[in-house]
Amino acid sequence: MNLEKVVFGFFVLLAATLNFGFFVGDISDPDLHNVYELFAAVVVNLVATVLKFGDRTQIGAVHLATSLVADLQLIAAAAMYVYATRIAGGGLSGAETASVVSLSGGALLANIVSVVLLVVETVTYHRTQ
Amino acid sequence: MTLQSGGPPRTRQPRPVPKGAVSADRGTGDGEASAAIFLLLRRMRVPLISLVLVFAVSVIGLALIPGRDGEGRPVDIGIFDAFYFMSYTATTIGFGELPYPFTDAQRLWVIVCIYSTVVAWAYAIGALLTLLQDRAFRSALAVQHFERKVRRLAEPFLLVAGYGETGELLVRSFDALGRRLVVLDVSADKIDALDLTSYRGDVPALVADARSPQQLRRAGLHSRWCEGVLALTDDDEANLAVVQSVALLRPDLPIVARTVSSAVQQRIATFGSPIVINPFDRFGEHLLLALRAPSTYRLMTWLEAGPGADLPPQADPPHGGRWIVCGYGRFGRAVTADLRKAGISVTVVEPSGAATEAVTDGVDLVAGDGTERGVLERTDPRSAVGLVAGTDNDTTNLSLAATARALNPDLFLIGRRNLPGNAVLYDALGMDAVLVPTELVAHEAYAHLSTPLLWRFLQEMPAQGDPWAARLLDVMVERCGGHLSALWKVRLTAREAPALQRWFADGPVLIETLMRSPENREQPLDVVVLMVLRGDFSILTPDAHFELEPDDQLLLAGRPPSRRALDSTLVVEPTCDYVMTGEREPVGTVWRALTADRRRPRGPRPRGGSVRR
Repeated sequence: MNLEKVVFGFFVLLAATLNFGFFVGDISDPDLHNVYELFAAVVVNLVATVLKFGDRTQIGAVHLATSLVADLQLIAAAAMYVYATRIAGGGLSGAETASVVSLSGGALLANIVSVVLLVVETVTYHRTQ
Repeated sequence: MTLQSGGPPRTRQPRPVPKGAVSADRGTGDGEASAAIFLLLRRMRVPLISLVLVFAVSVIGLALIPGRDGEGRPVDIGIFDAFYFMSYTATTIGFGELPYPFTDAQRLWVIVCIYSTVVAWAYAIGALLTLLQDRAFRSALAVQHFERKVRRLAEPFLLVAGYGETGELLVRSFDALGRRLVVLDVSADKIDALDLTSYRGDVPALVADARSPQQLRRAGLHSRWCEGVLALTDDDEANLAVVQSVALLRPDLPIVARTVSSAVQQRIATFGSPIVINPFDRFGEHLLLALRAPSTYRLMTWLEAGPGADLPPQADPPHGGRWIVCGYGRFGRAVTADLRKAGISVTVVEPSGAATEAVTDGVDLVAGDGTERGVLERTDPRSAVGLVAGTDNDTTNLSLAATARALNPDLFLIGRRNLPGNAVLYDALGMDAVLVPTELVAHEAYAHLSTPLLWRFLQEMPAQGDPWAARLLDVMVERCGGHLSALWKVRLTAREAPALQRWFADGPVLIETLMRSPENREQPLDVVVLMVLRGDFSILTPDAHFELEPDDQLLLAGRPPSRRALDSTLVVEPTCDYVMTGEREPVGTVWRALTADRRRPRGPRPRGGSVRR
């Protein structure tokens, strides 16, 4: 067992699950989407990204790319949330919630690709042994 | 992947690599180039993750702890404000407690946050700075920088492996000629020294072992602009390794290799046709040439010394007589063999084990340490004409020379200098000739690679005899001065001498007609034509009535203004017309048209391409 792989798999999966947890539920209902879950998703995604730094393999490069996409989407979602609550004023409307959640939905897609890559990597690892 | 598709055909097939395939590979080069950034990223993992985690915990904590607004109502400061607060606190900017003054509970948490985030931040920045100063990272960066420079070299360059005394001399000479160079050396000190030297062109240099083909590839061995390789390290094995790599990977390139061992010389020679320079071997030949034909020798050393060389002083070595050779190592043996071959008797002084070899070679031997007066006296220095102090120790050589001079002041003294720093001592002692193996290699390599014509000239020069060389020297000093400018080559083709082509239609052009000043054609141009190469025939120092033909190659010597004058004669048509006829041709179209009638009756003039051969 390789501890690095455990940590890596843990963060990649956690990023995907947190992301999913925030995303799931009626897209325009602010009550169904907890902002702390979004924050946790951003943080875990950033950690997962840094863990992918410096991997020179082809699959490592794709891993990094998907993580960067997820980061970008989630940070955009967070920025949208801040804009809606603090700058636009008047609390979180249905349309604003929808855009925050749909941005995190995009990130979820990237995170799913990450997980698929992780599975593929694991399977091929076993096959070559 | 790219590594796979590019690699195998080259490594598995021993046959010559086609040129196109060589320059096309970018995959591995890019891989090497990004190594530095990968290293940086990999090492930044832990600092960055700790930073992210500490930040996340601090922000969450601050966002969760209830605060109070200006009127004392409970209010959550929220994730956005918490992140804002932590950002300016962690970076030690500290705007204060925003948006409302904190409660005690918040302050308690902020105390924890301040210490942890500032430490995490300092750790991340410290790690980054350490990494930037890290040797491995810096060398990775240097490699990347070097590779980029080599890749962007879009003109022919020479690859120099080994930047010792020889390498430095050659790099200086070729740089003065405007040639581009790429340098590899194992010693970081030498590369630093190169960086401090100001050359005209940028000389990419890397601390690397040239024995490895990877390093040679980095230095552009596979580039289509690479025009030759010089293996000049002081390690014979390394030079052999370089020759092997080049001969197998780029058999089309000329190689110059230096060696001091005849065994390695033979091994090198088995790889294609490299130019191997063994300074000890060559010196014997040079010595004989100096003894038999001093002027030829003087001319040769002058031309080989490269641009900016001063005329070497006239040596007056003794004819015939007996020579004393001190030191019977590789150098002493080579010199002794050459002298004996020329029928000159030699007495060898050698203290150590090589003395037995001298006995088996059948030379006249005095065993013992030559620096002792008694030993040297036994060689009977008063009846000898010259002495060669040829040990590999400068101190010994100097004291040999001093002892010998005390015994016989008329001896012709030749010293071998090993370390560059001792040059002043040899000068001060006033030796008649000094052999510096590194210089000899540099000069010979220069003669080979500066222009192919020069080497041909030097090969054929001794056959012309010594009086010829003396006359040529006089002419050169008269026209070019005692300070040699770069020799140059002109090929009278439509590309290099377009203006001359239509004159060739009338027949050959005389040298004396062509070599005239474009300002005043009554004045001959101060240029010496050293050689004309026509097809495979060479004519050394053709006279003024020599008839030049199209496609002739000329090796010329002269000052830079004369070179520019000749260039404009060859390229600019009106200048060429004036030099040939003495008639100022109008340059502009209008004036040409106006004066056309006046000019036409002046005899038939070939124009355009109708009569061109």
